[in-house]
Amino acid sequence: MKVRGWLAVGLLAPVVALTAGLYLVPLGVYLINGFHRFKDGRILPVWTLDTYAAFFTDAFSYKIMRTSLLLAAIVTVLALAIGYPVAYALHTRVRGAKARAVLAVVLFCPLMISVVVRTYGWLILLANQGLVNTTLLRLGLIDQPVRLLFNMQGVVISLTHIMLPFAIFPIYSVLGKLDASLKEAARDLGAGPWATFWGVTLPLTLPGVASGGVICFTLALSAFVTPQLLGGGRVQVLPLTVYNSTVEINWPEGAVTSVALLALSVLAVWAVNRVLRRLPTVA
Amino acid sequence: MTREAHGADVDVRAITKRFGTVVAVEAVSFTVRAGEFFSLLGPSGCGKTTTLRAIGGFEAVDEGDILIGGRSMGRLPPNRRETNMVFQRLALFPHYSVLDNVAFGLRMRRLPAPEVRRRVAEALERVELGALGVRRIGELSGGQQQRVALARALVNEPRVLLLDEPLSALDLKLRIQLQEELKRLQRSLGTTFIYVTHDQGEALAMSDRIGVMSSGRLEQVGTPLEIYERPATRFVAGFIGDANLVEAVVEAVDGNGLVARVGEARVWARREGWEQVGAGLTVCVRPERVRIARPDGRSDALAGRVEDRAFSGSLVKYRLAVPGLRLHAAVPYVHGTPLFEVGDAVAVAWDGDQAVTVPA
Repeated sequence: MKVRGWLAVGLLAPVVALTAGLYLVPLGVYLINGFHRFKDGRILPVWTLDTYAAFFTDAFSYKIMRTSLLLAAIVTVLALAIGYPVAYALHTRVRGAKARAVLAVVLFCPLMISVVVRTYGWLILLANQGLVNTTLLRLGLIDQPVRLLFNMQGVVISLTHIMLPFAIFPIYSVLGKLDASLKEAARDLGAGPWATFWGVTLPLTLPGVASGGVICFTLALSAFVTPQLLGGGRVQVLPLTVYNSTVEINWPEGAVTSVALLALSVLAVWAVNRVLRRLPTVA
Repeated sequence: MTREAHGADVDVRAITKRFGTVVAVEAVSFTVRAGEFFSLLGPSGCGKTTTLRAIGGFEAVDEGDILIGGRSMGRLPPNRRETNMVFQRLALFPHYSVLDNVAFGLRMRRLPAPEVRRRVAEALERVELGALGVRRIGELSGGQQQRVALARALVNEPRVLLLDEPLSALDLKLRIQLQEELKRLQRSLGTTFIYVTHDQGEALAMSDRIGVMSSGRLEQVGTPLEIYERPATRFVAGFIGDANLVEAVVEAVDGNGLVARVGEARVWARREGWEQVGAGLTVCVRPERVRIARPDGRSDALAGRVEDRAFSGSLVKYRLAVPGLRLHAAVPYVHGTPLFEVGDAVAVAWDGDQAVTVPA
């Protein structure tokens, strides 16, 4: 990395200072606690790996990590599975810049609402007497309300909803860069619409799918409010543990859990980048 | 595949294609014979690519019909037509190897693997890429990619091969080399080629027949020689080769020739038959048919003056001012003969049967 000239330094300085002062330093201070000991409601300033040892030998930690990874994976797969067709339709079926802009705003809407408000909205929709259950009951599709709240289902539904724009837009952008004559060439060589999609369009837009997937996965992995409010204590994920530990002044445990969370995120990004490098570029 | 020797392979019947309010192709009709190398030639935006894409099934025509092998194509999609296209941007699949690119069409037809292998190898051999099958597309040069695109289309043994300016991205030397290869390939395979280009030299050199297009209309169809020697319109005369286009009024006609007046001057031309005394028309003279000499007082020569001179080795190009008009002459350079200087007075003339008339 090379920084050219004083102008660049001047332009970058505020961001670097803010990031360093308000993010990296507190993060470092917090993480240092991971090497201290928590005993009788107090943090003892001794240097030890005890907390790490305790975390990684506790079966419960692995259960939390499994739940976190499972939640993030399900949400990512769902967001991509729903998002790809939306992006494809947006790319192929929507003509005109105006219509596209309107749809983009509609798709981004969930991001413009506070996460707390949105989550309460889902509470109303998914409750036993909520809109979803009432509708399903009226239609006679179910005999009694389906439990959609305070369990994995509710968290998955709400998180998928909020992740959709992050899945759609990277895919949409790669679709836009795809040379239209590639699809035509496939049709010309005898491929029907489906064979063209599976043989040409999908493989060449995988970079978009991968980058959308990375964003969804890391955001879902670190989601806190949604599992907290809609999980009802039954969806124990890493961010919740970090929060609970911090509230209980057990900073060492919180710090170690944070490191685990960070490590899983970094691992996911690294794995996807490795795959991405093998994919062909569209341009 | 059996074909009648001279049947029409492609029959384009009065097709019209509009994009919104823009008429891209207007009432275009022509036929392409089996085994023919047919070019659609014209400047960008003339509708030649749209016409080609309509034949390939990539554009639905608003009016008219296209018959391939005597069968109406209607709205048949590209994958169900007996055509294959070589795209301007080649459109090779970057995620496949050369082999997989060439095999794509055969695999779509679910041919058995051994046959696919054999035909792909043959096709690559034919375009002299036999050794590069395992390469990725990104690892090939422009000329090699061009050959892969050709092999990928030809391996399917299409009845008609459509080529959309396939050589336009290449440098001149490679382009000329590939022109020759294309022509040779077409002759040896006997496949009908429809070739779109804006390069008149390319069209003249390669084609059996050329269709010249302008502003969505087909101006003229003919052999390269016919189009060069007997342009049907002013546009064709100006677009194919260099031409002096002289607007004149017919003064007298006799038998095979006519005399027309431009201001004070008189010019001569071959008579096509439609010209009428007193009516305006355009006389088209190729610069290499214009003769210039020292003035000798002969009555049938135009009195002019050399305005500019450019020496290009085999030719000397003169720009000549004749009262009322400006003419270009291209004179073969003969070793030892003196050149005319700028400002020299000259006598300008041409044989009447070397100039043609087109409607004004």
